[in-house]
Amino acid sequence: MNGEAVKDQLPHRYPFLLVDRVLEREPGVRVVAEKLLTINEPYFQGHFPDKALLPGVLMLEMLAQAGGFLEPGPLRGKAIFLAQVLDARFKGAAFPGDKLRLEVSPDAGFGGLMRIKGSVSCDGRVLCTAKLLLKNVASPTDPA
Amino acid sequence: MSELKTEVKTMIIERLKLEGMTPDQIDDTAPLFGEGLGLDSIDALELVLGIEQHFGVKIEDEAAGLQAFKNVESLTAFIAEHRAA
Repeated sequence: MNGEAVKDQLPHRYPFLLVDRVLEREPGVRVVAEKLLTINEPYFQGHFPDKALLPGVLMLEMLAQAGGFLEPGPLRGKAIFLAQVLDARFKGAAFPGDKLRLEVSPDAGFGGLMRIKGSVSCDGRVLCTAKLLLKNVASPTDPA
Repeated sequence: MSELKTEVKTMIIERLKLEGMTPDQIDDTAPLFGEGLGLDSIDALELVLGIEQHFGVKIEDEAAGLQAFKNVESLTAFIAEHRAA
């Protein structure tokens, strides 16, 4: 899955669509996706002018977006928010030219909340691991 | 039942890291969410995991779970019923 198919699933658009391709997808079970970093990405202009590297928080955003493919139906037009970041570890940096592998699976869920766990890796090196809580505010069973 | 209630309150305090709070400060019938203890939906997920881990009770039916989360009394009754089942 790539290009328009990715855009059909996620509400994000340039310059904030951070998933290029979905390699494996089993909704509710596991997703493996890819993001190719190019020097043209807007954040590289300032982060940093002398040594371009991917902001760590964007690795978390990549995992959150990859998590969108765990949902069976499209998320376009839906209100999905990042509600919590847990146990985020950054073990390495990513640079222009890197092809990042995003792996996510569900960890827990209740009342319109889905907790996912995931990792970002490049050439077999794990760069980031984290658990993220995603909230679907449209859920009718939300207690808050 | 009152022992189980205290155990439930202790689990809530520990799981949600309600520092400085003791079980006797939580009213049995005060709402857990919104007014009362003031928990939110993220806390609800933590409680679901805590109940499963601590009492071995899974909350698979969301509607029943939300009903159980009304207050400590209803939550204790839910746990007692499903733990015995």
